[in-house]
Amino acid sequence: MTVITDEVVCAPRAGTLYDVLDLILDRGIVIDVFLRVSLVGIEILKVDARIVVASVDTYLRFAEICNRLDLDHDSTSRTVPELFGGASGSAARVGAKKAATSVGGKVKDALGMGDGHDDEDDERDERDEDDDKQPRRRTASRSSGSRTRSRHRDDEG
Amino acid sequence: MSIYLYGVTRAEVPVPRGVRGVGDPPGKLRKLVAGGLAAVVGDAPEGLRARRRYVQAHQEVLLALAAGGPLLPTRFGVVVADDEAVTGRLHADAHGYAAALDRVAGRCEMNLKASPVEAGVADLVREDPRLQRLRQESRRRPGYDVSIRLGEAVETGLRRRAVGAAQQVASVLSGLADEVQAGPEVPGCVLNVSFLVAADRVAECRAAFDGAADRVAGRAELRLTGPLPCYSFSGLPAPAGA
Repeated sequence: MTVITDEVVCAPRAGTLYDVLDLILDRGIVIDVFLRVSLVGIEILKVDARIVVASVDTYLRFAEICNRLDLDHDSTSRTVPELFGGASGSAARVGAKKAATSVGGKVKDALGMGDGHDDEDDERDERDEDDDKQPRRRTASRSSGSRTRSRHRDDEG
Repeated sequence: MSIYLYGVTRAEVPVPRGVRGVGDPPGKLRKLVAGGLAAVVGDAPEGLRARRRYVQAHQEVLLALAAGGPLLPTRFGVVVADDEAVTGRLHADAHGYAAALDRVAGRCEMNLKASPVEAGVADLVREDPRLQRLRQESRRRPGYDVSIRLGEAVETGLRRRAVGAAQQVASVLSGLADEVQAGPEVPGCVLNVSFLVAADRVAECRAAFDGAADRVAGRAELRLTGPLPCYSFSGLPAPAGA
């Protein structure tokens, strides 16, 4: 549900996973009296899920901001690594207008995330999980990818 | 074959069409009716894990279900041995589930999260004599220790400012909600609170949030998510005499 539309803002929607992850994983009925099959490791995996979902959702949000940007207006910053520096960092949260606006300028330099980003990212997510890689490593490899992109851009400019 | 449990609803609530469940390939949804209650379940996938795609599927099933009637959403990852274990449990505590469903009927959950913002540090320093003192000290005699103290004081100030702003907004929303429930602690959040809101007041809630959030703009980053399934308001009433 997107409500705030007057600026470049990604308002939280019901479908945005990261902001409700705590509820999905920690709230809701459990019904312990049921013959609940204890899912091996699911408690531990919650932590990993937070990291994975956080980073993917961050990319998706930035992609959405990107798509709404008016690129005819020049940006003041091009620090892409900062953008992807941490999924839980302040740049990852774009609810407030100020935060979103200040991030917006940086996002202009993070172009290259097209419409297929969502699927591609999810595939990557799935593949990595299948390979039993640590989400941390995956996150790290993603951000180094971003740096590469940013260097490339600098060479051009 | 063990089964994956999505939630408990009333018997007449339809299983949403075209919604894919948890699993690879996505599991089919079916309904287990027990008296006036029903559980919505699917086959539990092998190697169920908290993958993004699975958590998303879980959430989407619940959103679709909640659109059709009152729902007690299950936490992600509840797997039950077989159908009889589910229906037996529903029969055993039919009154409790019915009461819990009445509580959430016609209502939804709205979740408010607040985080500090780094914007406006200048204002923060202007308003805080201790910060001004530390800043002057730091400029006169720069050093590691004073930098740490200054930075820590700024961080504390940003958090305090965010908490105050978030509480203002939360109190506005509380006035529109039937119930309020604190959420789990979330890294980076200074406030995480859920509101049980009548479905026909969601728009009012949004408008109130926008107004309140505008008034505290620059002091906290606020995110209102919903309407959601009533994750935080679905507990069964305590058994009588317990």
